[in-house]
Amino acid sequence: MSNNFFEINDVDFNVSGKAKVKNVSFSIENEGDIICLLGPSGIGKTTILRTIAGLEKIKKGTIKLNGKTLSSNKINVEPEERNISLAFQDNSLFPHYTIEKNILLGSDRNKENKKQKLNLKEIIDLLDIFHILNKYPHEVSAGEAQRASLARSLLSQPDLLLLDEPLSNVDQSFKEEIQVRIKKILNQLKITTIIVTHDSYEAFYLGSKCGIILNQELKQYDDPYKVYHFPNSVEVVNFLNRGILVPAKVTGKNTLENLDLGTIEGNFIKEYPKGSIVQLLLQPEDLEHDDKSNLKLEVVDRKFRGTNFIYTLKTSSNTLIPVFVHSHHIHQHEVDEKFGIKRPIHIEHIVCF
Amino acid sequence: MRINFWYISSFIISLFVIIPILTVFSSFFENTTNYYQVLKDTFLLEYILNSVILLLCVLILTFLIGTGSAYLVSFFEFPFSNFFKWALILSFAVPPYIYAYSLTAFFENYGTAYTILKNLFGEANYNQSIPKFDGLLGVILSISFSLYAYVYILARASFLYQSQNLIDLGKNLGFTKFKTLYSIILPAARPAIVAGLSLVAMETLAEFGAVDFFSINTLTTGIYNSWIAFDDLAFANQLSFFLLLFIFALFILENLSRKRAKYHFNSKSGLKQKQKIQLSGAKSFAAFSFCFVVFFLSFLFPLSQMMYWTLKFPENLFDLQIIKLLTNTLYLVFLSSLVLIIFALTSNYGNRVTKNKTLNVLSTLSISGYAIPGVILAVAFITFIAWFDDTVVKTYGFLSIKKVFIGSILGLVIVYFIRFYSLAFNGIKSGYEKINISVDESSYLLGYSKRKTFMNIHIPFLRNSLLFVFILISLEIIRELPITLILRPFNFETFATTAYISASEDLLEAAAVPSLFLILIATFFIMVTSKYILRDKDE
Repeated sequence: MSNNFFEINDVDFNVSGKAKVKNVSFSIENEGDIICLLGPSGIGKTTILRTIAGLEKIKKGTIKLNGKTLSSNKINVEPEERNISLAFQDNSLFPHYTIEKNILLGSDRNKENKKQKLNLKEIIDLLDIFHILNKYPHEVSAGEAQRASLARSLLSQPDLLLLDEPLSNVDQSFKEEIQVRIKKILNQLKITTIIVTHDSYEAFYLGSKCGIILNQELKQYDDPYKVYHFPNSVEVVNFLNRGILVPAKVTGKNTLENLDLGTIEGNFIKEYPKGSIVQLLLQPEDLEHDDKSNLKLEVVDRKFRGTNFIYTLKTSSNTLIPVFVHSHHIHQHEVDEKFGIKRPIHIEHIVCF
Repeated sequence: MRINFWYISSFIISLFVIIPILTVFSSFFENTTNYYQVLKDTFLLEYILNSVILLLCVLILTFLIGTGSAYLVSFFEFPFSNFFKWALILSFAVPPYIYAYSLTAFFENYGTAYTILKNLFGEANYNQSIPKFDGLLGVILSISFSLYAYVYILARASFLYQSQNLIDLGKNLGFTKFKTLYSIILPAARPAIVAGLSLVAMETLAEFGAVDFFSINTLTTGIYNSWIAFDDLAFANQLSFFLLLFIFALFILENLSRKRAKYHFNSKSGLKQKQKIQLSGAKSFAAFSFCFVVFFLSFLFPLSQMMYWTLKFPENLFDLQIIKLLTNTLYLVFLSSLVLIIFALTSNYGNRVTKNKTLNVLSTLSISGYAIPGVILAVAFITFIAWFDDTVVKTYGFLSIKKVFIGSILGLVIVYFIRFYSLAFNGIKSGYEKINISVDESSYLLGYSKRKTFMNIHIPFLRNSLLFVFILISLEIIRELPITLILRPFNFETFATTAYISASEDLLEAAAVPSLFLILIATFFIMVTSKYILRDKDE
């Protein structure tokens, strides 16, 4: 028997009897861990949260929390008996109560909870909602309503907290600050949390593990670093939009050869026999700019992204390769100009498919 | 599917309402007595013709009055326009039969009109020159001025939600006000107006008091007569079935004529407060006059006529046991409303939490009771109890249950329940539709049980809807005549039955006092909740 705090075993997540995400298995090892589920819109992330909360039933597999089976083919613990809190993406505040009353309803559940009591003031300050306490849900912005909903969920101090796109309506300028605050309080209170988001940076920051859901499956469930640098499938690469795949031939233990780029060195994360033809993942940060280099590629596009430029370069075989260059870089290249690539090309982690 | 408390209670409530309704409809296929043949050879054609003429005239008149006044108060500013906005719903306080008494009292020979003329111009033979609004015309006017408010309320609500952008677009295209009205505003409000007219149609065809008072033979009086004279409920049902078919045919026709046109607009822009147009000069006077005439004719006229008679014949005031009538009326109002609200609320919540298709179908069927005239329901109830008593109760040697249900408050409340269940159910349902299902889910996730969610989350949220439903039912019960008349306990009178009995004995002066009190109580109920009826809180 495993000692995981939370565990999903071979579950099909259904909506109206139809499987939305199939054969899902993952676990949260320790109480207080935060994990994130990433995936495009409509893929079934919310369905997973609703099912864990007990709002949808399962026909296959098991969902266990703290050793107790919550859902299976035969068992379905009612949502009100699970002590799992779900903060919905849309505004699910009680419209006839003020924000304050709404938040306080969260504390009703844990009157007898032996956990460390969460201070209402602390949570109000944390989420910066003091100014809306006396307002009604329809009188506040979507972002404020979302934060109030989050406050209510936090105050209920559940065994498992489920957050569905918790910051999707929060202003970009405030988002990162809130992320820091949320992470701090969740860690402080040791609230085990599953966060669903489509923002990979949010997931990488908040989660100790990330799950990628694509094409009705949980494709990868791993540390954010590994998900980012060692995507395990072409689908994950495409979803994270981390680069492009170019054909290459394995020429040695640490080298490959590409027709346009020449020799590429680095550490393979997986061994391939010499001579085998692979699809090499080229990420924007893998190539370095060097005007003195004799490897020149044509600039077809340049995007200013604040901290950096993303150049799109065309090779002689018409492959388009993205390259990051720091935006303070003095020497800028216009479209149609030649762009030098530093040789030899060294990639820290070589990911091939 | 989980069978729980909510499922079972909703199921039982819906079934309880459906059974008598189905009984009424199923007797359509039963054999009738030879009354049908007699009627066919004599008055059937007259009944049908009268009903059709009555219905069409009332629909046209209520459309013109209801939509016209709603248009004026929704889009224009003119003297007292804010007053008329709610004053125009006061006509609900005057049931058609009381309007009929007022019409007669005013225009009859040596009536109020005669007295006014005599006092102004001296003694003369004015009777010949005073028009007589009786017979079919009297019924048409009585029903129209009493019921136009259905069209007014729904049309006004629809105008309120119409998109300002759409109206601005009309202006931009150079439309005149009249063209904007008939090519944009009215078509957009069509579903609401039709909904209002359908309520008017059902009430018109079920109207008993005014039709009976003016001795007009319609299908409704035919139904009543076939039961009273021939004890032929099956035929009565067949007539009412025709009546309903007629209504349905009209609305199917309307629906077909819409083709694929859509009537929904972006509600966000629609909720924008519309800029009312300030009228001045002749236009302002015309708008004021129209609303004032409607308000005067529908409310002030019957109210003042009843007041005049009450003051003129004060002895009637003392003859009547006002307190007793008041307590009887309020007793029925509170008891029935309470029962209806509790059960309709339970059934609605049951439907919501179980999401069961069978229950859904049952609930939909159970709300059709409103379409069945009160006379029919009362008669069907008596017939059912009599049949049950004879075939089931007595067979097993129990004491007769007739006295428990017929001529008792219990029986009365049960039939009110069946008749007005749709009002309560739909009123609460529309309140429930505003509660997103995620609110329920949030509540469960906060650890609230279904019962606690119902009590702590839903009921506080539905407070306004419940109040509105209570007033709606109260108004119906205060005005209700045929069911109360047929099923009331011996010596148990309400303002409505007292007024009817006096009027049917040609003692219109005596009918004035209970009529006046009925109008005053109903007015009080309307004024308390005019905000909810007019949906002004959304403005």
